[in-house]
Amino acid sequence: SRQVASQCQLLQSSLGRLSSPQLPQLPDEPVSLQDAPGGLFQMPPGDPFPERVTVVWLSVLALACALVCDPQENLSLAEITLRRLAPRLLISLRLLSPGADVLLRQDAADALLDRLLPHGQMLFLNERFLQAVDREL
Amino acid sequence: MLCCGSCRLDGKFVELLQAVLCSPKSPEQVQVLCAAILREMSPCNDLILRCDEIQDTKLLSLVSSVLLAQGNKKGEVAAVGQRVVKVLEGRLPEGQSALLLLPVLANVINLSPESLTKEQTDAVSRKLADWLRYASTQQGIVQPSGGFFSSPRTKQPAPVTEVDGAIATDFFTVLSVGQHYTQDQWLNVQAFSMLRNWLLFYGGQEGKAPNPDDKPGMDRSVTSMVSTTSTSSRLLPPKEHLREKAFEYCQRLIEQSTRRPLKKDDGDLQKACLIEAVTIMDIICKQDSSYVYRAVSFLKILHGRICGDATYARALLPIAQFFLNHSKLAAVDSDAIYKHLFTDIPAQLFHNPSLAFEFVQFCKDNSQLFTDTSSIFRQSFPNLFKFLAWNSPPLISEFVDLLPFLLDAGTAIEIFHLLLDLPCLTAALDIQLRAAALPTSEKATNDPAVKPATCLEAFRHPLYKSTFQHLLRTRSAPEDTPESLIPLRQLLGSLAGNPRVVQCAETVPVLLELFFRVVAESADGSLINQLVVLLLQRSDQLYEIPTFKDDVYRVLSSQLPMLCKLHPALVVELSTEILEFSGAVSNIQSKEPIFTHVVWAVGEYLSVSYDKRCTVEQITRFFETLEAVLFEITQLRPLASTPSCAPRAISVLMATLTKLAARSQDLIPRVSMFLSKMRTFVQSPAVTSVYCEEDLEEILIRATELMNLLKMPSVAQFVFNPPMDVPSTRLQKEVNDSLPLALRMVTHLLEPAPGCTPV
Repeated sequence: SRQVASQCQLLQSSLGRLSSPQLPQLPDEPVSLQDAPGGLFQMPPGDPFPERVTVVWLSVLALACALVCDPQENLSLAEITLRRLAPRLLISLRLLSPGADVLLRQDAADALLDRLLPHGQMLFLNERFLQAVDREL
Repeated sequence: MLCCGSCRLDGKFVELLQAVLCSPKSPEQVQVLCAAILREMSPCNDLILRCDEIQDTKLLSLVSSVLLAQGNKKGEVAAVGQRVVKVLEGRLPEGQSALLLLPVLANVINLSPESLTKEQTDAVSRKLADWLRYASTQQGIVQPSGGFFSSPRTKQPAPVTEVDGAIATDFFTVLSVGQHYTQDQWLNVQAFSMLRNWLLFYGGQEGKAPNPDDKPGMDRSVTSMVSTTSTSSRLLPPKEHLREKAFEYCQRLIEQSTRRPLKKDDGDLQKACLIEAVTIMDIICKQDSSYVYRAVSFLKILHGRICGDATYARALLPIAQFFLNHSKLAAVDSDAIYKHLFTDIPAQLFHNPSLAFEFVQFCKDNSQLFTDTSSIFRQSFPNLFKFLAWNSPPLISEFVDLLPFLLDAGTAIEIFHLLLDLPCLTAALDIQLRAAALPTSEKATNDPAVKPATCLEAFRHPLYKSTFQHLLRTRSAPEDTPESLIPLRQLLGSLAGNPRVVQCAETVPVLLELFFRVVAESADGSLINQLVVLLLQRSDQLYEIPTFKDDVYRVLSSQLPMLCKLHPALVVELSTEILEFSGAVSNIQSKEPIFTHVVWAVGEYLSVSYDKRCTVEQITRFFETLEAVLFEITQLRPLASTPSCAPRAISVLMATLTKLAARSQDLIPRVSMFLSKMRTFVQSPAVTSVYCEEDLEEILIRATELMNLLKMPSVAQFVFNPPMDVPSTRLQKEVNDSLPLALRMVTHLLEPAPGCTPV
């Protein structure tokens, strides 16, 4: 997560944006991910993962999410998965409201991950399937 | 998330958690929580969980997640694998589905593929093939919610549609759309999601030779997009049967992935599916070459369809990989595909960070392509650097891996220039993007006499256009000299503060060091000479970013000792250039590190021991030049124009002059006289105000030691001109710092009594 944070900061500065220290309010509409900064980078074997991994990351408002993938995995799918996970996590964990008690909402995060990333496996879900998942949650 | 390396929970608590997890009376939420805690605390020695008897798929999934996190010290992975397959093979209890178990299985094969037997993989392969191929093509029915006014008639299920709304006329896939989904359709999604790994681990031949009865491409060619009911393939063994179904699935997906989706986000999934399908086809063809003929024509058509669409660019990589792997077998010419990939894509889409990353990975995975000097891959290296120039932070480590493959005697000079101009490339790319966004009606001035006011104007200006084009070239062009970049570099100065440019500049020192390390392994004298000359030239021609120049000077100067060691004769061979460089006093201030190391190199290597062609005249000429420089910077009453110099420069000049005098002893009196004047120099009021006390003392001490050395010319000669066959000692190391030690030793020899003052 240290690496993701520095990559995010570097990307932000390259785009000429200043990082805002205040936490933004949770918007009413679904969070738009069009311009959300994100990226890919590799980490060599050793620290902290024993094998070489590719990290796919995404930053939404004040939260950064990262998926750690094997180098051969489908990175396009990883990006799609992240873009679906991040806003749902934000909403279900109510991370941006005051007094967010994230640790007590472990089951909400678990349920979400269990559906979208069961046992860490990415799924090729089209939008309608995703809606069905949302209905179940 | 808490991440403990080992279980620190009390044994009793662990026992309790396990009991609650497995108890049928526990509510599901609590079970999930127990499993989560046990997972987080893994690996846990107190775990007694077993999955052998569990029938309930939900519980099995939870327990498996805990067991698979234990690090497989007690064969947990195999145990889970066995149990899951057993449950899948058997008849599932009412209301249960295999849905929860497939991800577990996917995890098992990732962790330990050898934990399943051939019988088991065959059984699963059969099921996978069915789920992939025979899922229902009708939409699922909503469970009626009951209630007072629910209609007694159940609605007729509608057929699934494609992403563009058309009714589906072929079998169900992940790109099929419906309002609600049936169980088998969910299984279809999960089966495809794990298909790649499954085929990778279990689809291969396992050492068996391919079946000689298979006629390549004859009785299994599918000419239409709609698959025939291939009842014949049901008679195949499970592995081959799955292979056939997987291939058909991929073909269908590829056809579906170029439809225009109604929902924009489905478009992203289409591209991901396309990439996956091509990759799986590649795997299948590797495992059974009879599929190659079917795949090749199919993929060529696909390539034709998507190569002009930037949104499909990432899919071009697995397609190119496929042709790299199989085109020889199919005797197909795929050069056009590679050319388009390496010439057009980096130039147009360098700014797409995901594509940039994957493109560079592709290059690394196929690094052997770059060894052929005439190939399109090798020739396109200027294009590849655009990815790095624009996306520096994530790609620098990838380029550190890739650079050695691009570098050899033929490309070294061009790459040297390219690295030094990498931040300029970033600036130029920025301008290129902005220029492309301008409406075409805005015409830049065509009058060469009118200077461009901005970089943007310069982009189309006749004076600068060709320079931009050189910088933004897509192919290697070693014959074009980049001297013309000088005015452009100045013009681009306005972008020197651009964050991307700055980030790019930070990667250059790393790459330069790597460059020299690689070049040193195989460079011959001629290349080294060229590099040194360029090093001196380019030190004047660098992009004006403050820390950039300092860092580049630091790296370049540190390479000089190494280059001299590899090719000691360079000082003699390049005496003209080095004389010119070291004679310019301005170089001391603007490029002190390089100046210092050059002068040091002269002192070390201008000697017959290193090159028989070194003449007394040469030594004298260098002596006089350096003497003049030292004279100018050590004036007692410095003029306003006299640069204040780093003390290191003064020291190294004195040392070099001494070394040269030791070799041509007529010069000794001149040096001695000069050195004796240094006392006056360091004590002069104008000088003490400029330099600090320690530095001046250091200079004086050095001058004294050098003078003392010259009083014993034969010793001096030995110290400064070691015979070549004497094994190198610390005295002969090419580090500046060892000289003071040597000098102090000699001084002690000469003046055992303390407190002697120099004559």
